[in-house]
Formats: sequence, C-alpha cells, structure tokens
Amino acid sequence: MTKSRVTRRTALKAGLMGAAAAGTASFFGPWRHNRVWAQGKKPIKLGLTCDASGQYGNSGQDDMQGMRLAIDEFNAKGGVLGRKIEWITADTETNPATGTRVAERFIAQEQCGFLLGAVHSGVANAITQVASKYGTIYMNTNSSAPSESGANCSRIKFVWDGNGTNFSKAAVANAVQKIGKKWLLLTNDYVWGHTTSAATKTEVEKAGGHIVDNLLVPQNTRDFTAYLLKVQQIKPDVVAMAIGGDDIKALRQQIAELKLEDKAAWINNQQDWPDVWGVPETLFGVFGTNWYHKLPLPGVAEFVKRWQTAYPKSPIPVPGNVSYNGYMATRELLRVIEQTGSTNNIGIIKALEGRKMSAVDRMQAYDAYIHPVTHQVQQTIYLARRNPKPVDNTDLFQIVSAATPEQALDAASLTACKLKPYAEVPTYEQ
Amino acid sequence: MSLLPHLVNGLALGLLFALLALGFMLILGLMEQINLAHGSLFALGAYFAYAITAARLPLPPDWLEAWAQVPLGWRFTVAMFLAPVLVAPFGVVLERLMRRTYGRDPLYGLLLTFGAAMVIEELIRVVWGTRDYMLPVPRGISGGFVMLDLIWSTYRFWAAAFAVVAMALVWLVIERTRFGALVKAGAHDSEIVQALGHDLEKLRVWVFVMGTMMAAVAGVILAPVWGIRPHMGVDAVVPAFLIIVLGGVGSFWGAVLGGILVGVVVGLSGAYASEWSMLSMYLLLIGVVTFRARGLFGKKSVLEA
Repeated sequence: MTKSRVTRRTALKAGLMGAAAAGTASFFGPWRHNRVWAQGKKPIKLGLTCDASGQYGNSGQDDMQGMRLAIDEFNAKGGVLGRKIEWITADTETNPATGTRVAERFIAQEQCGFLLGAVHSGVANAITQVASKYGTIYMNTNSSAPSESGANCSRIKFVWDGNGTNFSKAAVANAVQKIGKKWLLLTNDYVWGHTTSAATKTEVEKAGGHIVDNLLVPQNTRDFTAYLLKVQQIKPDVVAMAIGGDDIKALRQQIAELKLEDKAAWINNQQDWPDVWGVPETLFGVFGTNWYHKLPLPGVAEFVKRWQTAYPKSPIPVPGNVSYNGYMATRELLRVIEQTGSTNNIGIIKALEGRKMSAVDRMQAYDAYIHPVTHQVQQTIYLARRNPKPVDNTDLFQIVSAATPEQALDAASLTACKLKPYAEVPTYEQ
Repeated sequence: MSLLPHLVNGLALGLLFALLALGFMLILGLMEQINLAHGSLFALGAYFAYAITAARLPLPPDWLEAWAQVPLGWRFTVAMFLAPVLVAPFGVVLERLMRRTYGRDPLYGLLLTFGAAMVIEELIRVVWGTRDYMLPVPRGISGGFVMLDLIWSTYRFWAAAFAVVAMALVWLVIERTRFGALVKAGAHDSEIVQALGHDLEKLRVWVFVMGTMMAAVAGVILAPVWGIRPHMGVDAVVPAFLIIVLGGVGSFWGAVLGGILVGVVVGLSGAYASEWSMLSMYLLLIGVVTFRARGLFGKKSVLEA
C-alpha cells in the first residue's frame, strides 16, 4: 500500500495553480457554455428556493405548498415526458446572500434544471444573477418589486406575481379622486418597498395628488409608534404602505391597537394572504391581490379542495395568493416542458414568452399572458377590503374591483427591461 | 411638528428596552457570561404566555374548555407569572451546561449559548410551527387614550410602568438582600466566598434562573407589541447586548439608562430621519464607546461596587 502525504506547501501550490487555471479559463472563455445532462428517464429536478425563516418565512412555506401540489399532480399522471419530477428545497432565510448560495448549490451541485421561488425581491434578484450565469430557467413566483420585471429582468426569469406598479395603477387614481390628494408613504427600506412607493408616487401625482412625506421603515422594525405618531401629526388623507411580511403584521397590529384605522385611509398595495391569516382583526383599508380562494369563478372551489386534501394539517387552512402563484408557475413550467417535448432551456423560454393563459385556466376574471418584453405575467389585479359579512372564518376579503391586465400594465418596465439575446444565454438540457 | 410626543414615546420605548436588557445584564454582570440564548429564552416566554392565554396547552379538552371560559384578564395575568416559571428550567439546564466554561476563555461560553439559542429556536419551530401568533391583551389595558392631542397605546404605558416595577425589584434583590451581596462577592472573588462556606454553584444557578425569568417576563410583556414568531429572539438579543455594552457591562443603572437612551434615539430618528431609525442605536453605541470604552456606567458596575 502506498501512502501519499500532502504537505502544506503542496496543497498551497495546488490551490494556487487551480485558482490560476480557473481564473484563466474564465478570462479566455468560453463565453457561451453548454451543458447536456444525462438523457433518458432521469428525473427532472426542480430547486425550490423558498424562505422558511426571516421576514417572509411563512410566505415562503405557503409558496412551496402551491409548487408541491403542482408537482404531485404531474407525478400522479406519470410525470413529464415520461420522467418523474423530483424537487429539493432549502431555506433562503429572506436573505439575498443565502439566496445566492442556495441557487449556486442547486444548479452546480444538485443539478437542478429549474429554480422556482422567492418572495423577497432582494432574494429573487440574487437568485436571478446566479441562474443567469448558468442559463437556468427561474420562475420568480412571488416577489413583486417592479424592478424584477424592469431593470432586474432577465431572459431566464419569469415573474408570476403582480408588482407594485400593477397594484398602484389599480388602486391609486380612484383613491385620489374619492378619498383625497394628501398622501403619506410608508416604505420598507429595500428594493420592493422603494420601487413600489416610487410607483405609487408616480400614480398619485398623475392623478393630481401629492406626497407629503415618505417614511422609510427599516426591515425587521417591530415598533412603529414613532411612524404612527407622525401619521397622526401630519394627518394625511391616505397612507400608502409598502411594508411586507412580518413587518406589515406588526404594523397592522399597532394601527389597530391605537384605533387609527379611521384616522386616514390605509392602502397596502399588495396584501399577501399569509400576512393576514392569524391576525384578521387587523385587516383594514384597501389592498391589492391577484387571487382569492372565494372568487366566484369556475375551478376555484375544486382547486381549494385539492389543496386542502394535500395539506390537511397546513397552518393556513386555505390556499392564498402566494400558494396560488407557486402552483401556477410550477404547473405552467411543467406544461411547457411537456408541450415542447424537451428540457432545452432556450426552447422553453421561447414557449413561455408571450404565452397566453385563459381566465378559466388561471381561475381569474380576465385572460392572462406572459409579456414577451418583460417576462412578467400580465393578469387580473383585484382590490379588496375586509369582508363585513364573512361566510366562514377564512372569508376575510371582500373583492371590490378587478382591473384588466391592460389597465394594470407597468409601462415603465417595458423600457427598463433589456433582455439578453438568446445567443448570450448558456444553453442546457436536463 | 411637536417634539414632545416623540420624546414621551422614546421614553416609554426605552423602558421596554431596559426591561429586555435587564436579564442579560444580570447574567453578564454577575457571572461574566455572555448569554446569547437570552433572546431565545425571551421568545420562549412569549410562546408559553400565548399557549396559556389562548388555552392551547397539552391538557384534557374539558380542562382547556374550562380554562378558556376564564376572563382574558385572568388568563393574561396567570400567563405573566406562569410563563417565566415554565421557562426557568431552560435556564437551569443552560447553567449546568455552562459550568465547564467558567474561568475559561469567554469564547467557550459564547459559542455554547449561541448553540443553545439555535436549539431553542428550532424547538420553537417544531412545537409551534413557523406561523405568527398574537398574544391577546385584556380589554381593560388595550386600545388607546388621548394625550398631547394624539392617540397613545394604553398597553404600551402599562408595559412601561411594569418595566419600572420589575427594575425596582431587581435592584432591591441585588442591592438590598444578602443573596445579592453574596452573588456580587462571588463574582468579585469566588475563592473567598467558597472558603467562607457559601455554595457558589447554587448561587450561580439562582442568578441564571433570575436572568432567564427576566428574559421570559420581557417576552410576555413585549409579545403583544412585537408579535410572536420563531425568530423574535434574534430581534431581541441584539438590542439587549447593545444596551448592556452602552450602559457599561454589569451596571444596573447603565442598563436602565442605556435602554432609555436607545428608546429615545430610535423614537426620535423614526420621526425625523426614519431611514436612520435602526442604524441610530448602533451609531449611539459607537459614539459612546469611542469616548468611554467601558460604557456610560462602566466604573460603577455591580461587579465593582
């Protein structure tokens, strides 16, 4: 038996040579690399980049339940292209740095052909950067910063939720006319908050209103008294909140505790279902959503039943908009793989761009489509308020209006988004 | 815009911060151990209080039903006293684990309590899941009242008053009892205290139990304000640590003043420069330790009294 002893000097030399080789290789290219993974009946592997902790921990897990339902339904009928669908997940911790690490591991080590997930826009952007490097298709299920389908768009990324601009367009003009022109913004101090408030400001000013102040709220703020005192002192007509996840829950609790619901009109551009569930008494004002489990539309009740059968012990007993987006993104990806007959990423991207989805199929009021310029799903945007006559303890929303995809279109993203040419996207087949 | 409401708010907030830091101060000041699990014990207090108040306990259904019929005010009061008692055994276990680190590099204690914090947080996830809970507040102390022409949270002011009472009790125990004198002496010179026939191990357990119960009490009091979620411990331990360093390690009055200063700075920055509100407490710490590395009351700590 031979023994080989690696000295510290040898290891250092090897490491340096390796690093130099890697550096040189990346310097000289290839700029466009191709990956061909094993063919045949190898399972199709999805990487679910879902938060399990942090500000969007609850939403991340709700998102994953939607994805898993779609995967289970496809597997129950034999998978896709005769191949079983496998999935792995890891906690992205509502943290962009963790999102980067998870995405890198899923693609490079776990050989995931597709990534799905993210609620936090910073995490979504981090995952996009990694996925773009490999050409890996990424379904951004639930983050809704306008920049995700604007300046931070990508050829490999498809955005499934409505964004801050979509919701502002659906809500603001009407509120300026009916409620008042003096608006105060409460903005979560990160990419989604900033871009959403910027969109609100544009819409308010366009409708003849004005912004009296914009209070930036750091993420993970737990005590909002200072902000609420300022709201009381300024006395705005409308407070537009772009606060998400656990933060909005704490804020809503404190507004309700101080009984400030009626002191101004409160508008939350988007209200995710997991942020409402468990604290229904704090639901006030007007808010946006792209889906509700009691929409009187074909297929909704059946979908809710399938979801409940799959998750009898779910902490939230009904699917909300977050779970819905996770389901829709996963189902559409798997359908497209099936229809194109291949896992070739470029083929799938081309099939997704401009893809039309009927209102009945998506359980929404109007037909939807994936915008070929921004890769964002253009869809029905609902405005809701607290339901004064709930039929059961999950019936929290009363839908007050439904904007068409055209009415809610984020026109600014069409010029802000610059997609790479196909030739610059690394190709692969899983 | 009037400054006074923001100062009053900062003061009330500061008293809550001081309450949060007090248990941390006890263990750090009297035992020279940085207990990074303090935040997790704080979270446990909140969860136990929720389980008691909302009648979600592992008890027979008949008992639970009867307990749920008890007025909310009583359930909340019982939770406030019982939750810290239920959390106390966690402090005993933690102290037992930490014994091997006494007198050694502080890093060992730091790592051990960091590990304990992660274990407790995961335990919380296993038992209560990842969803959020709200601790209901009795009607009598919920809602708002008008002062300085603004609406204020009634509960917040009750909580601040409770924090003052809790701080006074801790001060009495440390400064005016034989137990407090022995603990201080033990921290100063453990060999002499043991030579005089006192059981230092037992004293340490009691200090740890006191610190743990203080963390749990802070958890119960702050839960209706912050909400209950698995990672609330992490949200709590950072400001607690910061307040202790700012006030001067081991100083009772340092912790109180540090808490109030942090509250006022966070309150004022939230109103006048909102984007700086979280950062302001760190800037305050940097400002203080740059000129006085031992913190504001570093010299007059209970360790050196």
